[in-house]
Formats: sequence, C-alpha cells, structure tokens
Amino acid sequence: MILKQQLVPIVLTVISVVIIYLALQLKLSPPMIVGDSMQPRAFPIFLMVLNLILTAILAIQFFKTPPEQPEPLTRATWMSMMLMVVFYGLTVSADMFIAISVVMFLMSLVWGERRILVAIANAVLTPLLIFLLFDMVLRIRFPRGIITNWYYG
Amino acid sequence: MLEALSALGSVLFDPYLLFLIFVTTIIGIVIGVLPGLGATTGAALLLPFTLTMNPVHAIAVLATIYVSATFAGSITAILINTPGTSAAAATTFDGFPLAQRGEAGRALGIAVMSSTFGGIFSVIVLCFAAPLLARVAYEFRPPEYFALTIFGLSMLASISSGGAVKNLIGGVFGVWLSTIGAERVTAIERFMFGNYELYEGLSFVPVMIGLFAMSELLVQSRLANSAVEFVKLKAVSLPSMEDYKKIWKTVLRSSGIGTFIGILPAEGATVASMIGYSEAKRWSKNKDEFGKGAIEGIAGAESANNAATGGAMVPTMVLGIPGSGTTAIILVGLMVHGLRPGPYLFTEQVTAVYQIFGSMFVANIMFLLMGLYAAKLFARISLIPIAILWPIVFALSVIGAYALNSSLLDVWIVLIFGVIGFLARRFGFAVAPIAVGLILGKMVEVNLQNSLKIFEGAWWQIFTQPLAVFFLFLAFLGLCGPQLFKLVTSGAYSKRK
Repeated sequence: MILKQQLVPIVLTVISVVIIYLALQLKLSPPMIVGDSMQPRAFPIFLMVLNLILTAILAIQFFKTPPEQPEPLTRATWMSMMLMVVFYGLTVSADMFIAISVVMFLMSLVWGERRILVAIANAVLTPLLIFLLFDMVLRIRFPRGIITNWYYG
Repeated sequence: MLEALSALGSVLFDPYLLFLIFVTTIIGIVIGVLPGLGATTGAALLLPFTLTMNPVHAIAVLATIYVSATFAGSITAILINTPGTSAAAATTFDGFPLAQRGEAGRALGIAVMSSTFGGIFSVIVLCFAAPLLARVAYEFRPPEYFALTIFGLSMLASISSGGAVKNLIGGVFGVWLSTIGAERVTAIERFMFGNYELYEGLSFVPVMIGLFAMSELLVQSRLANSAVEFVKLKAVSLPSMEDYKKIWKTVLRSSGIGTFIGILPAEGATVASMIGYSEAKRWSKNKDEFGKGAIEGIAGAESANNAATGGAMVPTMVLGIPGSGTTAIILVGLMVHGLRPGPYLFTEQVTAVYQIFGSMFVANIMFLLMGLYAAKLFARISLIPIAILWPIVFALSVIGAYALNSSLLDVWIVLIFGVIGFLARRFGFAVAPIAVGLILGKMVEVNLQNSLKIFEGAWWQIFTQPLAVFFLFLAFLGLCGPQLFKLVTSGAYSKRK
C-alpha cells in the first residue's frame, strides 16, 4: 500500500539519483577555462539535489494526505501509445508518410470511428495535404522512404 | 512615440498581415472551440508553419492564435458546458445555465463583447507598460537577471493545477532538460549519450509539441466514444443597453484584474478568469443569480481571461519570462525568428514590437466580428468526432516537429515528451512548468555563471545587489508566503480562541 502511495516520490528519487550519477561521470574542465565560474557538472547536480528535497516534501505530503490513485488506462490510451511505437517502426523501415497514414487510420478505428471510408479518407488526404503544403509552400524536404523516393526521384 | 504610433498604424496598411490575422483568427477560433485543443496546443502546432514568414508576421500569427483561441473557449463553454480552453472554465458557471434558459445568443453576445473589451484594454496597457518596464530592465546585469529568473521559476508554484511542490519539481526537471547538450563555456558534453544532434541542446519546439499536443492526445483518448449535449442556438444577439448598464463595471474591473494577473510571470488566463469571476460575484448586487445564468459572471470571467493575454505578453517580451504556456511558445517563436526577447527588443526592434501589438489589437476586433456573425458555425465545429480530429493532430505534430530542423530526432522527441507529459499529468503534475523551466533554464545557468565571474566566485555577493535581493525576496514570498500567512492566521485564530 505504502509502495503504491509513494510510487511517484520513489520514481522521482530514482530519476534524480541516476542523473546525479550521470553528472558525476562528466569530464572536469581545467581550472583555467572554468575560472571563477562553476564546473559543468555542478549545475545539474545542484538541480537534482533540489529535486530530492522537493521530492522529500512531496513524500511527506503523501503520507499526510494519500494521493488519489489515477484511473486505469483505457484500451484506447494503451493502443494510442502502441501506435506511436508502430509509427517509429514504419518510419524507420518504410516511409514517414506511410507511417502517418497507417497510424491515423488505426487511431481513428481505436478511438471509435466505425465509418471505414471516412477513416481511410482522413488517413490519406490529411497527410497528403500537409505534405504538399510543407513541400511546395515551406520547401521542406522529408526523409527518404518508399513514397518520398518515388516523389523526389 | 511617433515611431511606435506609425508602426501600430502600419498594420492596417499591410494587406498580407491583415489577411494572415484574418485567417489565423478563424484557425484560432476553430482551435478554441475544439475541446482539448487550446491556445497553447494550437500555437505549438502552428509554430512550424511560421518558419518561412518574416518575424513580425510569424509572431503576429502566434499572438492572434493566443487571443482568438482564448476567446473561443467560451463558445463551447456556453453551448455544450465544455470549456474549449481551461481559461473558459469559469464561463461555464453562468454561460451554460443561461443557454439552457434559451438565451444562448445573449450569453455569447456578452462573452464576445466582454472578451473584446478585455483584450483591447490589455493591449493598450501593453503598449504603455512594456516600454516602461523595458526602461527599468536596461539596468539589469547578470545578478539581477539571475534573481529575476529565480523569481519567474518560483511563480511556477502557482502556474496551474497540481500542487505547488509538484509544479516546482516539474520546473526543476525542465531546467535540467536545458542542461542537455554542450556546456556553453567549456563545451563539455552533458547527457547527450553520443548523439551529436543534441550538441546545441534540446530544440524547444518538439518538446513543446510533445508536452502540449501529444500528451493532450493521450489524455483525450480517455474520451473515445463519448457524446456531448448541444444547446440549440438561434442567433447571437448583441447585449441590450440594460445588459451594458449591468456589466460595464464588472468588465472594467475584470479587465484590470486580468491584465495585472497576466503581467505576473507564470500566471495566466485561467487564474485571471477565476479571480475575475469571483470578484464579479463579490461586488454584485445579485449574488444569488450567480451559477444560474448571471450575465455579470460571464462578463467577469471573459473580460479577465482575454485581458490576461495582453498582460502575459509584457514579461514575455520585456524580460524573456513567459507569462503562460502559450506565451512560452510565443517566446520560442521570437527566438526561432531571431528576435531576442528582453529590454533591447524595445530599442533595436521598436517597429516590429509595435506591429506585433497592433496585430493583437486587430485580432481582437476580428474575433469580435466573427464571434457575432459566425459563432453558430464555429460551434458546429466542436461536434467534429474526436476519432477524426485527434489523428489529424497527430499528423500535424509529427510533421511540424520534423519541419523545424529536418530531423527525425525531433519527431522522436515529440513522441517521448508526449508520453512523459501524459504520465506527468496522470499523476497530477502540470506540463507548463516543465516547458517554462526548459526555456528559463539556460537563462538561469548563464546568468549564474556570469554573476560568479563578476564577483570572482563569491556567489554570496549576489545578495549585495538591491534589485537582485528584491526579486529573491519576491521569490521567497511566492514560495513561502501562503504557508507563512497560514501560520500567522492560525496563530492569531488560536490566540483569539
């Protein structure tokens, strides 16, 4: 129970300690460069010590008034996060615009859209319009992939 | 002064700028009426589109989004009891009951007139207050700037929902994010993990898009398959003379309150509207009507939240300290377009600054016209199914983030910070402090380093500078004031007992 109640302070403490450890691994700069100023590691360490103090205050607050437990994540939320992973995989392996279209289509279905044709139209037309806007008006070149290779030649 | 006036007037003779303000006002209202998509998310999504514009046009676009989306939140607040933006939450208290009584048009009329007055009032204050504050800020040296940024960060304690401690933890985390990349003086790489795209540090824009837009997408996924109740609207009518007589004092008072709260670093339209509403109730002769459709309640909340937009631009442009989540993005916009926020903006870029102020003025007039003549149409937009809307937000977010530096790393940053922002919000942490911390982080570190150099390593010398001590005292008051006040009042109470 206490572990559940103090989950946030525990996670914050772990993050702060890891960052302090990483900061301690940073190289030291020669004194003649640093001069009267501070070493590059000093500021992040100071911040994380401050965070540890604030986290301790938060933990005490949680002991006094236990925080409300958040509602379990819905299926749509889990699926939306999974779709971000799918987006990464498809962008790296195929094409950014194929990835956007696939994710948009699946996201529409996951979020409750039952009209398949509407979902397909949204998934195809939106990225196409945005692509044309960025390519023709803003002159942005997108990463190479199946579609962009064909378009750019 | 003459230069400033001619710059203000020049907005009216720049047809392209007027066209941009017109189009952006429509986009801002659309963004504002869509629940979940507020001014901050809208500005984050539109920022990449401004890359090819000249700096004045770009900032005018972002400022227009800010004012129009802040107003538009009231449309859905009145018609479907769902504030389009958090700043319109107080408008639901009386707006929706009035709409349920069949007076939706009157409620919208009051909202649009009050918003316009509040917005214009704050732009006028902005035009006078900003140069005055800039004149004071000329005197600031690194110790004063260091103390000022600490004051700005201390105000994060009350920036939004979530407790003060949680907001401060978010702010400190944001400041730490600013240390990623090569250190300025020694060029020692910090927390880059061998990724040289991070050499210059984390780009602000993808972090903002991730924290605001992508995390909101995950929050909204909870509402998949939900339905909304919509109140029928016949037409938007202008308030009657009787209504004006009833609300003019409230509008004036709330405009002042909203502008003042907006000027305070890290305070924004949401706080302003709540205080504007409660003050309207406190001074009203008809307190019983509040919560049942009091027009003073709508006027108080709406004039205050729009007045906060102009107020929030004061610390953003003069001191480089954002007054709200949206102004944090406007600040990023200023930097991306090479306009250095700070007092020197008012000597080096006077024309640009006043053109931006002028654009905000015009934007207020534009949303007045659109609010009066097209509110019904805009209200319909709020009925777009979220299963169609949010996939579009996803596409805009990832493409917009990529467009900034043509870097896929920025796209991954959007996704990572989307999840971080979502988890933070899930456990009661607001994301705005993280964003503001990231923006102010560099200022804090650089000014601390420079102060140490000035004082030859004797950091305590900072406390010998009167202005620095003043800001640090304000920061102390901001952090410990409420607790001290509680202690003092509880002590006095127990004594009396």
